[in-house]
Amino acid sequence: MLNITRRQFLNYVGAAGGSSALLKTSLALGLMPDDSYSGPVHITPAAKGEQPTALILGAGVAGLATALELEKAGIHCTILEASFRPGGRNLTVRNGDKIDEMGNTQICQFDKQDNLYFNCGPARIPGHHRRLLHYCRALNVPLQIKANSSKMAYFHDDNSLDGKPKRIIEYHTDVRGLMSELLWKSADSHNFDQMMSEEDVAKLMKFSQTYGDLTENGKYIGSERAGSTTDRMLEFPTPHAPIELKAMLDSQFWYGGLLGAELYDWCEPLMEPVGGMDGVIKGFLRHLKTQPVLNAQVKKIYNRDNGVEVTYEQGGKLHTVQADYCFNNIPAYFMAGIDNNFSETYQAGLDSVKRGHLFKIAYQMSERFWERDGIYGGISYTTDPINQLWYPSHDIHAQKGILLGAYTWDAKVSGIFEKMTPQERLTAGALSAEKIHPGCSKYIENGISIPWARMNHQMGCGMRMSPEDFDKYYHLLQKPEGRHFMIGDQISHHSGWQEGALASSEQALKQFNQLVSSHTKSGAASHVA
Amino acid sequence: MSLKSTLFLLLFAGTASAVHASEAPTPEGLEYCTVCHGSQLKGNANIKAPRLGGLSKWYIERQLNNFKQGIRGAHTSDVTGSEMQAMTRHLTPSDISAIASWIGKTESPTPEPTIHGDIEAGKNLYQGCAACHGANGAGNQAMGAPRLSGINDWYLLTQINHFRAGIRGSDQKDVYGQQMKAAVSMVQSDPDAINLAAYISQLK
Repeated sequence: MLNITRRQFLNYVGAAGGSSALLKTSLALGLMPDDSYSGPVHITPAAKGEQPTALILGAGVAGLATALELEKAGIHCTILEASFRPGGRNLTVRNGDKIDEMGNTQICQFDKQDNLYFNCGPARIPGHHRRLLHYCRALNVPLQIKANSSKMAYFHDDNSLDGKPKRIIEYHTDVRGLMSELLWKSADSHNFDQMMSEEDVAKLMKFSQTYGDLTENGKYIGSERAGSTTDRMLEFPTPHAPIELKAMLDSQFWYGGLLGAELYDWCEPLMEPVGGMDGVIKGFLRHLKTQPVLNAQVKKIYNRDNGVEVTYEQGGKLHTVQADYCFNNIPAYFMAGIDNNFSETYQAGLDSVKRGHLFKIAYQMSERFWERDGIYGGISYTTDPINQLWYPSHDIHAQKGILLGAYTWDAKVSGIFEKMTPQERLTAGALSAEKIHPGCSKYIENGISIPWARMNHQMGCGMRMSPEDFDKYYHLLQKPEGRHFMIGDQISHHSGWQEGALASSEQALKQFNQLVSSHTKSGAASHVA
Repeated sequence: MSLKSTLFLLLFAGTASAVHASEAPTPEGLEYCTVCHGSQLKGNANIKAPRLGGLSKWYIERQLNNFKQGIRGAHTSDVTGSEMQAMTRHLTPSDISAIASWIGKTESPTPEPTIHGDIEAGKNLYQGCAACHGANGAGNQAMGAPRLSGINDWYLLTQINHFRAGIRGSDQKDVYGQQMKAAVSMVQSDPDAINLAAYISQLK
């Protein structure tokens, strides 16, 4: 036993006891992460004769998930939504749908076809967003793979390579080749001799040669891994001339786009609901007992001794409702404009949440010209303000497709688009897209844009707190104030992601269980089952 | 309106909820205003949307027209001004008149001070303002000078600095804005601007 490795031991256990024994042993040895997620918070069911109530402010993902879990425990929920539609920033637009931008109402002009839609907010789900995937499973929301990266897509920078777009596969291959060449040279110059054995230095040189596709002399002269300038089915491949090291360093691609598919939230494969991200919202609505009250804008929130009182406005009338508890999904920066009796510190915490400026454009293209260029899904990156072009990976080879023509979140860059009229945005976006796909504008049939910082009742996406405010207020906002809980992606480390919204809901519901149990202990005998 | 008010009273008379008599529902179609400017247009510093209650109808009309015509808010550094431009682009003259009337009638608590300056120094500076805006900041329509009391101090400060920097009041057609741009030449430093705003914000 002492002379075998852990891996050999596990193989042995697996053979003798089957996979279940292997799993348990692995957990005991700490090789596999313990499954930290086992589904939504179980809410203590209401006692017989009790009819607890909750107000949910905002029918976004966090609000709907919270309502669903509370309803399961027999708690009656009233969901108030300020907008004309439920879903919050989970918004998919199709033919005839409205984008309720402040001062610039837009109607989606896409053809009336199931495959022509635009996910204005969230658009992709990685495999480790366990909460969201739980709900997709539980609510019967069918998913498909979404290609979030295509090595055939492009990188473009006006100030690099004469502004000519370069395939991402070429850039990746060249970067790897150039970095490997430096590593090889360094090893060859005995820079690692103090650090490792001669044998390991030799291995390192072999590694860099393999990793970067270097010559025997450790030179990178281009690689057929990035394709060929000739028809490589019929002729010997001829690699593209590699990018120069200086040109690579001067380009902007390695600041962001180079790692576009490397980060954890974008680790492949990603998924998307079939037919549009709002499938998630529809799933929640199908399973909720009570549907959201729409066009109901909250005016006041008051913590009272035994509950929360909310005044909202709907159809030119004020309504006041009360409930035992309140879960508030409203963007925190709106709360200063809503009457309340929160403590100064709590209000200061709410004020510390700042607006995000996510912006997107989508074009209906008469032809899927990118597919003829070998691009099936994925993203092209540019240093132009549009930042990214997304190609749909669903409905491949359909006649038409929706091309995402801009995706920016920098406040200054998005601010440029926010100030424009919708038509100006489409024109500006098309000018940038032309740099990557010359002549592509002729396929544009119509388009629509979404500046989240100008959206009615949202006024932002990707909220943020400064690091100091995070230290000061984040945990405060995670706790209830009286019987009022703040929820939403804003109360998470993952703003702008549905998983962040669901994590905030889960966190609030855990605290809710504690609060209810403390109320039970502190008197109310009727609560005791 | 009277029908609505009656309904309103019937609905809420006798309930424990403290709905003030001054509160009225937002006229339909104007809910957009309250998204940023807050309930009863009480203002929301997070959105940089000031309290509007107490402003005169004629002043609101003038500003809405200025935004609409690009006289105000066109400067590239005037982010909130450009946001207001978008909101006014489609307004008709009668819309503007209706909005201004409603704003004049909204009631909300006078804002609490948020900036701290040398009130005495601000008072001295204000002597140059009082001729048009009045000693108590009550405003003077004959001079085209709006009420200043009851306006958020952070908003006053922003506007003073916008006039100083030419972000507001540079358009030839902005007659009163140009006067203000000239008048703020007496505000010679950032502390001056803070002191002045701090003084004005405590005028009743």
